[in-house]
Amino acid sequence: MTAHPKRPPIYICLAVLAFGLALSLATSEGKEPALTDENGQTKETPAKFFDYHQVRGRQSQRSEQGKLEGELDFSLLGKSRMQGMAPFGPQWSHNAHLLWDGVIGDSMKSSFEVDASGVYDVSIQLTLAGDYGLFRMTLPQSSITKEIDLYSNRVELAPLVVLEDLNLEAGPQAIEFKLIGANEKARKFQNRGYLMGLDFLQLTRKDRKPSSPVTADPTRNTPNTPNTPNSKNKDQAEKPKPANTNEPASFQQLTSQQISAFTKTFCSDCHHADSQETEVDFEISSDGHPWHEDPKLLRQARNELADHEMPPEGSEQPSTEQRNAMVKTLNSMLSDYLQTHQTATPTAMRRMTRYEYNNAVRDLLQLRGDIYPLPEKTLRAFTPYFEPATGHSPRAILVGNRTLGKNQVERQILTGVNPFAIDLQAEGGFNNRGEELGVSPILLESLLRLGRSIVHSPEFDGYCGLTTSLFSSPEQESGNTTHDVAKERIAKLLERAFRTAIDESTINRYHEYLQARHEETNSFRTAMKDVVAAILASPRFVYLAESSTNSNTKLLSGYEIATRLSIFLWSSIPDEALLVAARNGSLLDPEVLDAQTQRMLLDPKCHALTQNFARQWLRLDQLVTAVPDFDRFPRYYSRIGCEQWKFGLQMMVEPLLLFDSIMMEDRSIMLLIDSDYSYRSDELQSWYSEKKPFGNRENRNRFNTNQQRYSKRKLTDRREGGVITSAATMTMTSSPLRTSPITRGAWVATVILNRPPPPPPDTVPPIEADDREIESSGLTLRQRLTQHQSSPQCAACHSQLDPLGFVLENYDAVGRWRTSYTSGLEIDSSGELLGKLKFKDIIEFKDALLQHPEFFMRAFAEHMLAYALGRELTLADEPAVDTILQSTLKTHGQFTTVIRQIVQSRAFRYHVDESTAEEIR
Amino acid sequence: MRNHKLARRSVLRGSGVAIALPLLEAMHRSTTAQAAPQNLAPRRLAFFYIPNGVVQTAWNLAEVGKDYQLSPTLKPIESVRENILVVSNLDRIKVAGTDGHAQASTCWLSSAAPDELSPAGYPLKRTIDQIIADKTGSETSFRSLELSCNPYEDNRESIYFDNISWFGHGHVARSLRDPAEVFNRLFRVEEHVNSSSVLDLVMEDAKSLQPRLSKLDQHKLAEYTDAVRTVEQQITRVQQRQDDIAKLNPTTPIKPWQAMRRDEFIQVMGDLMILALQSDLTRVATLMTGPERWGSPLKVEGWFDKPIQHHSWTHGQHNEGIRKQLERVDLFHLEQFVHLVKKMQAINEGDSTLLDNTAFMLGSGLSSGEHHVCNNLPTLIAGRCGGAIQTGQHVRYAEGTPIANLWRSLARAMGVDQKNVGDSTGLINEIS
Repeated sequence: MTAHPKRPPIYICLAVLAFGLALSLATSEGKEPALTDENGQTKETPAKFFDYHQVRGRQSQRSEQGKLEGELDFSLLGKSRMQGMAPFGPQWSHNAHLLWDGVIGDSMKSSFEVDASGVYDVSIQLTLAGDYGLFRMTLPQSSITKEIDLYSNRVELAPLVVLEDLNLEAGPQAIEFKLIGANEKARKFQNRGYLMGLDFLQLTRKDRKPSSPVTADPTRNTPNTPNTPNSKNKDQAEKPKPANTNEPASFQQLTSQQISAFTKTFCSDCHHADSQETEVDFEISSDGHPWHEDPKLLRQARNELADHEMPPEGSEQPSTEQRNAMVKTLNSMLSDYLQTHQTATPTAMRRMTRYEYNNAVRDLLQLRGDIYPLPEKTLRAFTPYFEPATGHSPRAILVGNRTLGKNQVERQILTGVNPFAIDLQAEGGFNNRGEELGVSPILLESLLRLGRSIVHSPEFDGYCGLTTSLFSSPEQESGNTTHDVAKERIAKLLERAFRTAIDESTINRYHEYLQARHEETNSFRTAMKDVVAAILASPRFVYLAESSTNSNTKLLSGYEIATRLSIFLWSSIPDEALLVAARNGSLLDPEVLDAQTQRMLLDPKCHALTQNFARQWLRLDQLVTAVPDFDRFPRYYSRIGCEQWKFGLQMMVEPLLLFDSIMMEDRSIMLLIDSDYSYRSDELQSWYSEKKPFGNRENRNRFNTNQQRYSKRKLTDRREGGVITSAATMTMTSSPLRTSPITRGAWVATVILNRPPPPPPDTVPPIEADDREIESSGLTLRQRLTQHQSSPQCAACHSQLDPLGFVLENYDAVGRWRTSYTSGLEIDSSGELLGKLKFKDIIEFKDALLQHPEFFMRAFAEHMLAYALGRELTLADEPAVDTILQSTLKTHGQFTTVIRQIVQSRAFRYHVDESTAEEIR
Repeated sequence: MRNHKLARRSVLRGSGVAIALPLLEAMHRSTTAQAAPQNLAPRRLAFFYIPNGVVQTAWNLAEVGKDYQLSPTLKPIESVRENILVVSNLDRIKVAGTDGHAQASTCWLSSAAPDELSPAGYPLKRTIDQIIADKTGSETSFRSLELSCNPYEDNRESIYFDNISWFGHGHVARSLRDPAEVFNRLFRVEEHVNSSSVLDLVMEDAKSLQPRLSKLDQHKLAEYTDAVRTVEQQITRVQQRQDDIAKLNPTTPIKPWQAMRRDEFIQVMGDLMILALQSDLTRVATLMTGPERWGSPLKVEGWFDKPIQHHSWTHGQHNEGIRKQLERVDLFHLEQFVHLVKKMQAINEGDSTLLDNTAFMLGSGLSSGEHHVCNNLPTLIAGRCGGAIQTGQHVRYAEGTPIANLWRSLARAMGVDQKNVGDSTGLINEIS
């Protein structure tokens, strides 16, 4: 690496080649048609680094056998719009259709996507009504023309229009409905013209059998399969690999004389035993060991040297070669240390969060939905859209914001069932850390009440899929005695609930309880419900417990790893297929484990990774209480004087839908840095692109607060795309009257780079709350902040942190682009990333992150691993992270690679006892 | 009695800001008076927590003794000053390297010695309210009551910012934020009784789990088994008091807390706390007016036109405009406190009042939020705690006196004599 390169070399390719792997991308298997915007524009792909949009692990299974919704999958142009049809009955697909109106001679023009060329049957479902017209439908690419009268005296579905054996090319297909007249009985719409409604279009592939949906066949995506060697190798295989370097270890390690020559020249002036300024000593470490036997110090020295944080500015600097050699040497010493020491970190037993509890109860009892409304389940879709098995992220998604939207949080789902208190996120982490998830008397009271209120709620019987198989009186079955039947049911339920083999005494205990309740209530059903209520409050249900052996580490049992896996991917308990693999022990085989992982990633239940992981990772909850100033940013509020509905409710959805789409199509996580598409409502698009959003809507409901149609839009401007520059991030990292570059910098450092800044010092010099006040003195916010951090102890951290915030200064406090401050002062967004990568604006900043994907990939893998383990990562986890990173680099950040590698990691598959583990932090 | 019931309902249905005092007295006669002879009204202890410290210049008192001049922030106590003891110069030792605000709330009531670090890095032990509840809790339906008026529905900060009461490190006595939930817990007898039948069963499950766990996890599981025992006792005692509680015939507050004004929310929570203390459902309570830091703006209706930014203002208080605003925030909290003090004062318990038998303390884990300072923590105690506290004066201790001395003294007043409370070095002389 050269120092401060203007255009850093494209060494991602070198790294891949160096590892001896041919570049082979998922996309080579099938063609992905170019995505076109509703306006037909495409984005210019920058050629200077790898285009992560090429990565796609799953091909669309949809349009070979797919249903395209009128209101979602067709472009809505001109007067086309979505209309909810629930008031007219349940027969419309997704409860909505595409509605259009015009006068005779006008045309409804639209298009839909076909993913693969072939012969198809096309069925079109239209709507009939009293003011609907006579249309000539044309499919120009297929030379099809057909006249259709949409009149009926009732609002109803039309007979299906079926077109057989059409040859369709992959890509957009034009479709046109020309209004040519009307039935004589039809009345005019608004005295001028007529309407039409398109519910859906169904494609059925004729020329070959539709390929089976993507299954958990580990051989399918051969080039992308992470290393899942057999278990023998795997258990010792996870050698720590060099971190922060992507080159093979073919360098000469420095000798101990060379090392001490280096520290003497560049370090020891400040770092020595008598130093007042620092506790770091490059002679003897604080605990009396030679400094290079202190792993924490090794890591710190390596990181700060690599990031050009040390030696500090103004001190004598090593040459690039000297620096690189020392970084590699430190890295190698650290690896040696980690290899020769017991380095696993224990994961504390914890209870489920309330999010997980909801999902677990839902899946255990086969409920039709959630047990209680959770505001933290932000995305609320009335018809499910998250179907990763289709390998296709819909063109448009109908979704509301449960956290912030109107009428989005149901007061109760089951009468009398209330969630317990929200589980708060750990500082810089997730809400699933063992040490922060305890059971207090109040929580136990809640759990006891919850179990009871769920099974005895009036809606329960109609809501539960086990009404017959579990709760019906066993007299109706033959063969066994009723006791045997009841016991069998209890045993089966307990295995799923407690996720372990159930011994006879436990079954008997619960059976005795059943009998006692049966006697008292005179109802088997009520008694069995009481049994379930008890199970739902049992420690064996609510705790994620792993058994201990008195050895250092042990491979988790099948049941234990099944639980870790389902909690990680689904925030829930294992399903039957996973339990089978747990029961018969096959799950201990890494290949079976990998196949299960892939199977589970195709299940809609892994939407929890968006709703639970991504929401917390991005810290999106901070948008809930962001309050841009009412007077300065009135359009953030749905109407003047009403601050209850904030535009944040639409902003918050955007990054989550991007995350959804990456999961569904198994795309690269690098799209989270920069993507050429985004899901936006019309109003959100207007927020980004129009000088005055929402047109002329003044002092009344400016924007929709319920569910919205978010359509996939091609982004032509690289200032947009990815999560960093989203309006959500920009708004929640601002204060009411101005941006807050330090908050933004801290957000980028924490979320994107996982290098959270140290806590702010106790004495924080204040700064004006309003940027106009600052600008009136002729200073920009940046100049003002810099002026304030002139003291060296401030500058040490802020020189790293602030550029990450200043680069976003072109986005105002509500996420809109500006070229200068309101006073006309110019915005300076240039800076340096990690002391080595210069950028002049946000686009170059994104480029730097894309050219050095290891920064973000490492951070993302660390966040995800911490989430998977429910604990803070320590130095001991570094080898695992390195392994995950190397595989992720090979697939250019493919989402499933990260997940599968985490599941395969030693940290995930092994239990560690704290009593024997060596503490390394 | 019938009229009483109706009036009570209307009180709780309304904002809850005003409690019909004679009725509370009537309820008192029907409950506490029967439980305890008039002259032996139990001693009670409650904490009123203010986050983010106060503006020191507006808080500090110049004189000591009985005739001190009230400072601007303490103006609201004027009418009740005879019942208040002001203590200056009490400290907590701050531990570097962890967040100042998380420490403020989490470590305030434990005041653990700085070397007693928990895994999260905070000096955190069983807090004084829980130590006292270990004893007093054996005589009441609920061992303690933890309440918070945290109005934020976002997930901005960790539990360490949001809780002042802890069973031990890593084991929070999580506070309730919803008045309706508090109400149900205190007064819905059947909710408790219905839980009793499964307790044996889940306890057996805990026992069957225990031997397979590592030491650390066994410790974690003990939280569960402790909770089962607490709930068991609670059920027994709630049943014993069933008739008393039934006579109160209380009705759930109808207004959701989200619809309450800021002052209303604090007062409703305060009313519930008073009701629990007065009817001897518990003798120890903590009430947080809000969590530490939580940099989210907050509406305070009638006091500020725009949402206040309590935390960020504390860092800007050297600016006079901001400081004036911040002083108003402090004043707001003092007024809420005094309002509750007066309610306690108006409740008769035989020849004395509830206030006479209670120590109701206002304080914060930071003295000033500006530099996260922990010396000279704002400290007021209203009430005499059954004659143990010499109120009506301001005392100033030597600089560096640990606030743990106060915890130790309050514990002693509550009948718990414990030598080593946190980093205590002695006692507060005005509390016997």
